[in-house]
Amino acid sequence: MGRGPYEKSGLLAETSLPPMKHVHERFEIPYPFKDGKKQRELINDELVVSVKLWYVPFGEFDGYEVIFFEEEKKIDLKTEWIWR
Amino acid sequence: MKKVVKIGVSLFAMTALWASGAYCAGGPEPAAPAKAKTIKELVARYDSSRCMECHEEAHEQWDNSLHSHSILGTPRTAPTIITAIDKGLKLFPYSGVKEDKDITVESLMFCAKCHLPQLDEATDDVAREIVATIRGWQKASKEGNEDLADELEEKIASLNIGCMVCHNKMAIIHKWADGYAQPDTVYGSQDGDHDDEKFPKMAKAPALGESIFCGQCHGLGPNFELDEPSQCATAYGSYLYAYVAHGGSDSCQECHMHKSGLGHDMQAYNDETMIKMALDVKVEARSLFWRKNKEEGVIPKGIIKVDLYNKTGHVIPDG
Ligand code: HEC
Ligand code: HEC
Ligand code: HEC
Ligand code: HEC
Ligand code: HEC
Repeated sequence: MGRGPYEKSGLLAETSLPPMKHVHERFEIPYPFKDGKKQRELINDELVVSVKLWYVPFGEFDGYEVIFFEEEKKIDLKTEWIWR
Repeated sequence: MKKVVKIGVSLFAMTALWASGAYCAGGPEPAAPAKAKTIKELVARYDSSRCMECHEEAHEQWDNSLHSHSILGTPRTAPTIITAIDKGLKLFPYSGVKEDKDITVESLMFCAKCHLPQLDEATDDVAREIVATIRGWQKASKEGNEDLADELEEKIASLNIGCMVCHNKMAIIHKWADGYAQPDTVYGSQDGDHDDEKFPKMAKAPALGESIFCGQCHGLGPNFELDEPSQCATAYGSYLYAYVAHGGSDSCQECHMHKSGLGHDMQAYNDETMIKMALDVKVEARSLFWRKNKEEGVIPKGIIKVDLYNKTGHVIPDG
């Protein structure tokens, strides 16, 4: 609550979560890399990804925001890609 | 085709039977009470503190809820009412409101319908006193006059959805079928005598425990019955069309009062328990190379998939 009726008016994008339904979000984060002559090298082959879900009642991070979910995931990409 | 119509008719008949066979909770429409002439009078009429000595737990819980300060809000409501007046009412060519002195009960009803339904028992002077009090509070806060700001804030917070708003004024929804709430009665789940001097009777309100009761204020969408329809909360509309229609069966009371264990402290995103009840979130993460195209080649990336499932009885957030 707090955004005003606008998002529920059918005129603006409605981004709320419907009940009893799965909503999927997909995020893609490139690993930092540099290109050599033949090979692309990862500058870092580990990523620590922090997934946070904020409830932002008035649409801004103004002190009223509340965290609903937080999880950290470590992922890595140890293999190099080599063109053949 | 004929068959379908027949089923429809018999269902309707069942509803009618149920309604007229319900408890005789209310009575004939009582004479309208004398209009309250000041905020103080209106607050006294709906004072919840008299219920505290016997219903201590309910009072304590209610006191922590937004219902106990429904004009002040978090405190975002009072300032938003002022915005609605300055950026709405005063700019609308046909509202009849050019200055604060033109404000009437009717002009505030587009908010008070739900934030302070008992305002319809007050004079236009009370509507203007409310607006003046909010402006005074904003000014005092801005100028750092804390004592005055606190005093005025308390006055704004005394305007609320108290015990008798729910247990009397709003308690009976179908007044032709179930009767009008009587001025000497508290409405709950049982009939009998009630220990309070001012309200010596108690009676059943057939729908107090049903979602429709909360729906009176928690919104279906635009308030079309008003000359200038406002829209604020729409949780009840969402509940009916997105939750019940898809097989959801809990009532508002079941989740907000019972399963939460919060009773009359009806809460949402500001409460840890409610936050835990709100969502299931699953995160999957993996890494992959992606053959994008010739020019950019192969991109190494992390892919994070998040699955969100809303376990409540309506969309979140509300409007
Ligand atoms: C299945 C359980 C469930 C049912 C049924 C349910 N609620 Fe909720 N409701 C919740 C939970 C959990 C939250 C906390 C999430 C949040 O605040 O967004 C919530 C949040 C809310 C909010 C705050 C919404 C917002 O913007 O954050 C309101 C208002 C509300 N409910 C009212 C109602 C009303 C009125 C009904 C009945 C018409 C109802 N609820 C039915 C579980 C339920
Ligand atoms: C002197 C004590 C006393 C006062 C004051 C009092 N009550 Fe009660 N109330 C009771 C008792 C005792 C019951 C019966 C409880 C029971 O049998 O479960 C009751 C029952 C009720 C019920 C019905 C509960 C149900 O089971 O459905 C409601 C609603 C209620 N009171 C509201 C109020 C409100 C609102 C006020 C303030 C205007 C108030 N009471 C003031 C003692 C009091
Ligand atoms: C249909 C009934 C209804 C009407 C009419 C209505 N409101 Fe609301 N309003 C609610 C309900 C119920 C909530 C709490 C629901 C929630 O949190 O999802 C609320 C919440 C709010 C909030 C956020 C509360 C907070 O404390 O942060 C503001 C601000 C607000 N209303 C302002 C207004 C204004 C200004 C008007 C008039 C222009 C208005 N409302 C008209 C029912 C209504
Ligand atoms: C927003 C509406 C609302 C307000 C405000 C409210 N109540 Fe209730 N109350 C309810 C509902 C709904 C129920 C029935 C819950 C259920 O289905 O079990 C209830 C149940 C009760 C009961 C019987 C069950 C119990 O919890 O013991 C009593 C007594 C009661 N309320 C007293 C009060 C008092 C005293 C106040 C003021 C401090 C108050 N209520 C304020 C909605 C309200
Ligand atoms: C008389 C109108 C009215 C009734 C009846 C009513 N509410 Fe409310 N409710 C409000 C208003 C207005 C607010 C918001 C007050 C504010 O913050 O300005 C509110 C706030 C809430 C909140 C807190 C939302 C938030 O953003 O934190 C919840 C939860 C809630 N109500 C649930 C219920 C449930 C459940 C019922 C039925 C048992 C109910 N209400 C009955 C008017 C009502």
